[in-house]
Amino acid sequence: MATALPVRAQVPAAGQATKQHASWSPYDDNGGTVVAVAGDDYCIVAASTRMSTGYSILTRNKSKILRLNPKCVVASAGMQADMETLHKMLHSRHVTYQFNHRRPMSCPATAQLLSNTLYYKRFFPYYTFNLCAGLDDEGRGAVYTYDAIGSYERVGYGCQGSGKELIQPVLDNQLKAASPLVLPQQQWLSSLPLEQAVDLVKGAFVSAGERDIYTGDDVEILIITKDGIRTDSLQLKRD
Amino acid sequence: MLHRPTSHSAAIGPGPVPSLANPGPALEQQPRHAPQAPSCGSEAFCVDPQALSSSHPRQHTQYPYVTGTSVLGITFKDGVLLACDTLGAYGSTKRYKSFDRLRKVNDVCMVGASGELSDFQYIMRLLEELSDDDFCMDDGHHLKPAEVHSYLTRVLYNRRNKMDPLWNSLVVGGFHSGKPFLGTVGMIGTSYTDAHLATGFGNHLARPLMREKHHPDMSEEEAVALMHECLKVCYYRDKNSINKFQLAKVTKDGVSISEPFALETNWGFKLFQNPAANAVGTW
Amino acid sequence: MMRISCPLIDGPATSAAQDACGLRELGVGGAPVDSFPLPAVQDIDSFEREVVEYVKPNHGTTTLGFIFQGGVIIAVDSRASQGSYISSQTVKKVIEINPYLLGTMAGGAADCQFWERNLGRQCRLYELANGKRITVRGASKLLANTMFSYRGMGLSMGTMVAGWDEAGPGLYYVDSDGQRTKGKLFSVGSGSLYAYGVLDEGYRWDLSVEEAVELGLRSIYHATFRDAASGGTVSVYHVTQEGWTKVRGEDVGELHFRFYPDPAKHPCNSVDPLAV
Repeated sequence: MATALPVRAQVPAAGQATKQHASWSPYDDNGGTVVAVAGDDYCIVAASTRMSTGYSILTRNKSKILRLNPKCVVASAGMQADMETLHKMLHSRHVTYQFNHRRPMSCPATAQLLSNTLYYKRFFPYYTFNLCAGLDDEGRGAVYTYDAIGSYERVGYGCQGSGKELIQPVLDNQLKAASPLVLPQQQWLSSLPLEQAVDLVKGAFVSAGERDIYTGDDVEILIITKDGIRTDSLQLKRD
Repeated sequence: MLHRPTSHSAAIGPGPVPSLANPGPALEQQPRHAPQAPSCGSEAFCVDPQALSSSHPRQHTQYPYVTGTSVLGITFKDGVLLACDTLGAYGSTKRYKSFDRLRKVNDVCMVGASGELSDFQYIMRLLEELSDDDFCMDDGHHLKPAEVHSYLTRVLYNRRNKMDPLWNSLVVGGFHSGKPFLGTVGMIGTSYTDAHLATGFGNHLARPLMREKHHPDMSEEEAVALMHECLKVCYYRDKNSINKFQLAKVTKDGVSISEPFALETNWGFKLFQNPAANAVGTW
Repeated sequence: MMRISCPLIDGPATSAAQDACGLRELGVGGAPVDSFPLPAVQDIDSFEREVVEYVKPNHGTTTLGFIFQGGVIIAVDSRASQGSYISSQTVKKVIEINPYLLGTMAGGAADCQFWERNLGRQCRLYELANGKRITVRGASKLLANTMFSYRGMGLSMGTMVAGWDEAGPGLYYVDSDGQRTKGKLFSVGSGSLYAYGVLDEGYRWDLSVEEAVELGLRSIYHATFRDAASGGTVSVYHVTQEGWTKVRGEDVGELHFRFYPDPAKHPCNSVDPLAV
């Protein structure tokens, strides 16, 4: 029922003061958590599949990951309609890129494209919190994290979405290495073996599912290596 | 695409998005020729000259007037069921009691709507235009349920981008290449597909029942029984609903929408008789 | 440009059903749209304010820059926060526009990143058109012009443009209001007041390079100590006639033990005068 929608942005009607009755907001938070961990020769991307609004669960099985090519994916949490649009946009840009260049777009290029795409909507932002992940040109794991309007940074691991306050500290505890800004330069990628890293991600999601109402149901896990993308999944509690 | 005159002119339909930062191609979007002329055939509009002269974008629905309540949808073994009542409510007035909120799009697809019913009629006009084009092309192609769903998602999302939403939650049901399709779109473009779904109050009232009793390989009889139960529960607790329902079915044999029917209700439940029994201090 | 004519795909959107999707604004099937779409609301200002509450862009910083006899020193922290959440401790707040130009980042991270990347593009085009490097004065003016054209639309950016050109060392402050100021010493960001305190106390024109670097480092460190929105690592850049070099990158956690090796001398642990 339309009037049950959250009241947030008061959009004034033309030439009038703000209306008192049913108002609407162009934004909604559908929740969800996405995580990515980069390794020496792999990258793990995981996203919860619950989609909610307020206290209601809309569906338990909505993928939040866009697979662009075997070396690059984009995972987004936040508002589903914006996510869908952003993913469609990136997909279309990726197809065009392949027509023009006869090769898939590299992960660093996609990362830059995503940043520009987000910033292009600076004055009416996509309410999405993204990670771009895959393998870079040297075959090493790459994770890029973003804010909603396109500032981005390459990191060794990242978490975005409703469960980020719960998961990011756990990843920091297990994976934190020297800052890439420190001189002299030090190794800053996590060097965990793949299986251990997958277990870490799964464990983090199980914990987040206990304390975040927007994280639950299922976790879609992609494991990106030079041989392509392998999928894994994890059942979370459905409460 | 077959040529046809613009069916909503700058004066009637939504105007272009203003692009103040850099007045780019968006501004010279639609040629504003003869906006007063009726667009096509039956649709003659009265043009408001103010709307033509004002520089800010038109915003039609900032709040809903005539609304429909929940639409329910479930998949079953060989198709999809949609159901809802036939009420068009004007605030809390039961204004229109025989409004068809379930509509056929083509032989494989149907749409149900809750929310502002005039917006739904506009949406159906868009879909009919697409179906008419398919018919005129006569190449055997028609819109698949997933395409209709995706299209409606884009339409609703685009209108929310213009701060001029179509105030609806739509349910798309279809059956194509042996598989049922069931999806929904909200007024800001939020969309998903699932084995069962409900809009508005139905999400709170009927969805728990569906989660308990639905399974993908249920027979049509089981599905109809479940649907009746869900409708009844919604009717008991949703004051903006009436006991006059329609049930639509899409299977490999096409779309069929039932005549309106009433369900047998029982208001003799103990809690219904004295609803304040457990709420001390009320009457 | 050669194009295959395909009216079904890119024919004029004549029917309502086609245009209802807004394909044109997305730049699908036609020329790409190169402007920033604005929300169709009456009061953009309050809409943008609302949006900031919603999307919580990255914010918070201490940056500083000063000119001395040995060139220009730029020092920054590396923390980004969204509300009370620290979204990153490893932000690169010095943007390397070209080998002779640096920009710093304070305010909205995306605004700084995007527009300074854009500035880098403009500077490169200037080089290609004129066969020589752009001056610091020119580069900062380009950025200020861009900022002025978006004035009042909610951009948030406080930046220093530093570099070396034929006029010698240059340092300009440019912000999202369109203000542009030439100067010898600036500090920008939520921790700037703390940084100024240390910086003003220690600054002399004839500092040695070593001393100047140390002063920049110390100023940022003390800002991270008192400003919750600053932290992470301190990066120090030095600009000379030969261009910029990054000279220091140090974790604040370790700097702490350099500046306060003896816990008893730590200001928090000093003897409480009331207790004596």
